[in-house]
Amino acid sequence: MSKSYFDETHCAIGHPKTKVMQWLLTVDHKRIGIMYAAVMFTFFFIAIATAMAMRIELFAPGAQIMDGNTFNQAFTLHGVIMIFLFIIPGIPAVFGNIVMPLMIGAKDVSFPRLNWFTFWLYILGCTIALSSLWTGNGFADTGWTFYAPYSLNTNTNVISTLVAAFVLGMASILTGLNFLVTIHRLRAPGMDFFKMPLFVWGIYATAWIQLLATPVVGITLILAVLEKYFGIGIFDPAKGGDPVLFEHLFWIYSHPAVYLMILPAFGIMSEIIPVFSRREIFGYRTIALSSASIAGIGYLVWGHHLFTSGMSDIAKTIFSFLTFFVAIPTGIKFYDWIATMYKGKVILKTPMLWALGTIVTFAIGGLTGVTIAMVGADIHLQDTYYSVAHFHYAILGGVVFLFFAGLHYWFPVVTGRMYNESVGKVAFWLNFIGINLLWFPMFIAGYYGMPRRYFDYLPEFEIYHQISGIGAIVILSGLLLMFWNFLYSWNNGESSGTNPWNATTLEWHLPSSPPPLENHTKVPYVDFNPYEYHHGEPVVKFDYETMKRID
Amino acid sequence: MSTNIKVDYQAEKGGYYKVLIGLLILTSITFIQPSMFLTDATFVVQLLIGLIKAIIILFYYMHLKGETLIGWTVVFAVSVVLFFFSIVIFDVKNFQFVDESHISSAVTSAGSPTAGHHSSHSDESHTTSEHTSSVSHKATHSEH
Amino acid sequence: MSSHEYVPEIATTRDGVEHEVQGWQGDFYGGKLGFWLFMLTEVLMFGAMFMVLTYYFTLHQSDYIDASASLNRVLGGFNTVVLLISALTMGLGLLKMRSGDIKGAKLMIWATIFFAFLFLGVKAIEWSLEYQHGVFLGLDALQSGNVHSKPFGQILFFGMYFTMTGLHGFHIIIGIGLMLWLLKRINADLVTPEHHILHWNIALYWDLVHLIWVFVFPYFYMIGADAGGYHIPDIGSLFGGHSNEH
Repeated sequence: MSKSYFDETHCAIGHPKTKVMQWLLTVDHKRIGIMYAAVMFTFFFIAIATAMAMRIELFAPGAQIMDGNTFNQAFTLHGVIMIFLFIIPGIPAVFGNIVMPLMIGAKDVSFPRLNWFTFWLYILGCTIALSSLWTGNGFADTGWTFYAPYSLNTNTNVISTLVAAFVLGMASILTGLNFLVTIHRLRAPGMDFFKMPLFVWGIYATAWIQLLATPVVGITLILAVLEKYFGIGIFDPAKGGDPVLFEHLFWIYSHPAVYLMILPAFGIMSEIIPVFSRREIFGYRTIALSSASIAGIGYLVWGHHLFTSGMSDIAKTIFSFLTFFVAIPTGIKFYDWIATMYKGKVILKTPMLWALGTIVTFAIGGLTGVTIAMVGADIHLQDTYYSVAHFHYAILGGVVFLFFAGLHYWFPVVTGRMYNESVGKVAFWLNFIGINLLWFPMFIAGYYGMPRRYFDYLPEFEIYHQISGIGAIVILSGLLLMFWNFLYSWNNGESSGTNPWNATTLEWHLPSSPPPLENHTKVPYVDFNPYEYHHGEPVVKFDYETMKRID
Repeated sequence: MSTNIKVDYQAEKGGYYKVLIGLLILTSITFIQPSMFLTDATFVVQLLIGLIKAIIILFYYMHLKGETLIGWTVVFAVSVVLFFFSIVIFDVKNFQFVDESHISSAVTSAGSPTAGHHSSHSDESHTTSEHTSSVSHKATHSEH
Repeated sequence: MSSHEYVPEIATTRDGVEHEVQGWQGDFYGGKLGFWLFMLTEVLMFGAMFMVLTYYFTLHQSDYIDASASLNRVLGGFNTVVLLISALTMGLGLLKMRSGDIKGAKLMIWATIFFAFLFLGVKAIEWSLEYQHGVFLGLDALQSGNVHSKPFGQILFFGMYFTMTGLHGFHIIIGIGLMLWLLKRINADLVTPEHHILHWNIALYWDLVHLIWVFVFPYFYMIGADAGGYHIPDIGSLFGGHSNEH
C-alpha cells in the first residue's frame, strides 16, 4: 500500500525536496482542496470579524465605533470577501477538488496542472483584493454590487477590487472547466451519468454555471474599469450611458452565482441524508435532473434584482414568473429528502444535525425569496433588511451550513481521524440558535422599513438590532467551537478507519484513511447504483487489493 | 494525447481551400451589398452573412461537423447568449418613461444645455425651459 | 515532462471482463473538450459586449449609422482578408503536422504570425487616423459637455469600437505569443504528429479570434456603408499636415 497523500506528492514544477515546496507546487487534487480550505476559512473569519464590527456599530442608533464612510467600506469588504473569496470558490474548491474525483473512481482531475495554476490565480485575486485595504483611498465603499454611476465617481479603490474580482472569476471558470471535463471523461468504467453520486451531479451542474455565467461578470468588470479609466460612456448618463445596463450585466452573472453556491450544497445534503437514514435516496433521478434544471432555469431570472430600477412592466412580469418557477425543482429536492428519511433509521450524528437544521433554515431562506419574487411585495421590501435576512438565511443557512455538514461528514476521509461528536453537537446548536436570533428579527425590521447598508437608523428599530447583536455573539461562539473541534481533532482525534459511517459511495472504499496519493488501488468497475442499502447495510463490498466486488 | 491516425495532406487540403474561397466570396458580398441589394435591411443582411461565415468556419476549420457533445455545448452556450440578448434588448426597446429619460433618443447631444442639467461632468449652468425639441436642433449641427 | 510512457489502467468486472480506464493522461478528446469549453467563455464575454453594443443601437440608430459611415472600410476590409488568409495558413499548418510534415507545419505557423503582425499594424494605422481626426478615448469628441462633443449614440459607438477592437487586438497579441510558444515546443519534440493536442487547440484559438472579427467587422464598419458612401482614406494625414475631411 502506498503512503498517504500527506507523505507523497506530484508537483507542477520539478521535484522539490522540502515539505513546504511540495505543498506549494502540488498538483494533487486532495492537497489543493485542503489549501483552498485553509485560505478560504481564514478569509471567512476576517469577513465575520468585519460583520461583528458592523453589528457593534448598529447595536444602537448613532455612530458608535465608526462613521458612515467607514461603514460603507465595512459592508463592501464583508460582501466582497464572503462572496468572491469564500462562497463562490466555496464547496467546489474544497470538496469538488478533494471528494469528487474519489467519488467517480478517478486518480485526479482532468487537468491537474491547470488545477494548481487555478489555485494560485485564486491567491493572486485574494492578494489584489486585500491590498486595496492599504493603498490609495482605502477599500471600495460601493457595496459588493459596484453599481454605476457611484462606483465610477467614488475615489476609493474600486478598480483594484474589480480587477481582483475578475481574477477570482477566472479561477472560478477554470475550476468549472476542469470539473466538467473530469466528470465527462474520467468516470470509472460502468459509471454512466445516472450511476454517479448526487454530489457529483451537484458539482456538474455548478460547473456549467461557473463556466458560462462568470464570463459575463468578467467582461462587466472590465467594462466598468474601462469606463472609470477611459470614459467609454456605456454606464455614464452624461454620455448617454445607462446605469441599468450595468445592473443587467452584473446580475446576469450574480443570480446564477447563487445557484452555483447552493447546488453543491444540495449535493452534500443528498449524500448525507441516505447515509444517516440507512436507506437509498428517494427519487434519485428527479434530484439529479432537478440540479440540471435549477442550473438551466437559474440563467433566466436575474431581472428580479432590478424590479425597482425602471424595467418595463412586461419584463418584470416575465422575471417574476420565472423566479417562482425556479423554486419548483428545489421544492422537489426537499420532498425527496424528507421521503428518504421516512421509514429510515435516522441516526442523529453531527452531519445529520446540520443537514436537518439546514432543511429548516434554507426553507425559510427559500420561501422568503419567493415572497420578494412578487413584484408588488418587492417594491416595498427591496433594499430593506428583509432582503438581507432572506439571502443570509439562504446563503448562511443553506450553503454554509451544508458546507459545515460536509466538513463533519468528510472529516474522516481527509484526515483519517474523527472529530469530537459531543462538541460537534453543541457547536451545531449554538450556530442554529444563533442564526435565528441574528437574522429572524431582520425580516420584521425590514418589513417595517429598516433600509440595508445604513449605518444609522430611527430608534424604533433599535430592539431588532439588539436581538441580532446577541444572535451574532451566539453564532460566533458556535463557529469558534466548531473550528476548534476540527483543528484539535485533526491532531488528537481517534483514528476513524476508512468507512466510519458505513456509507456506500466510492470515497468510503479507499484502501486507507487518509487516502493514498493514487486514490483507489485499482479503479473499480461500477455496475451498481450509488446508494444501495439492504436492511440498513450497504450492499456493495470490495476486496481492497483488487477492487473487485465480493458481495 | 496520442493519435495514431495518419492524415493525408494532399487529400484534405482541398477542403481548406474551398472554405477559403467561400469565405472570400462572402466577404465580397459584404462589400457590395450596401450599395447593391436589400439596402433597406443592411444591418440584418450584414449580420446574416457574418452568421453564415461563422457556421462555415465552425463546421470546417474548427472541425465541429463530426462532434456531438461539443456541438451541443456550443448550441447551449449560444442559446444562453441569445436569451440574454432578447430579454435585455426587449427591455430597452420598451423603455417605460421615454420622454423623461435623459438618455433615450429624444435627448441626443451630450453638448447641449439640457444635458448639462443632469450631468455631473458638464460645467454648463442650469438653463430654464428646454424640452427635447430644442435639443435635437443642436444635435444636427454636430460634426459630420 | 512528456506523458508518452503512460500505460492506461484496467478495471475488471466480477466476471473477469476487463475494461480500459480513461486516465487524465493521454486524453486527446478531453484536451479538445476542455479547450472548446474555454472558448465558450470567450463567446460569452464577446457576446455580452455585442449585447451592450446592441443596447445602445436600439436607442440611437441613426447616430450609429453615422458613426459607422466614418470608419475606414478599406483598412477594415483589408484586415478582414488578412485574418481570413491567416486562418487558412493556421489550418494548413495543423494539417501538415497531422500528416507528418513538421517542417511545413512550422513554416505555416510563421506565416500565420506574419499575417497577425500585419493585422496589428493596419489596426495601428487605423487608430492613428482616428486619433488625427480627434476621435479617440479621452479626446474632446468623446467627452460630454464641450463644443466638440459628439451625440450620445456616436460617443457610445466609438467607446465600444475602441473597447472591442482593442480587446480583439489583445487576443491577437496573445495568439502570437501562443504560436511562438508552440514553435518552441515543436522544436523541443514535445509536439509531434502523434501528440499534437497543443497545436490543435492553438489552431482552434486562432479560428475563434477570426470568428469574433467576422461579427465585429460588419457590425462596426458596414452598417453605415450606404449612408456615408465610399471615400478614400486620408492616409497622407498620418504623415503630418491637416486633414480636410471631418
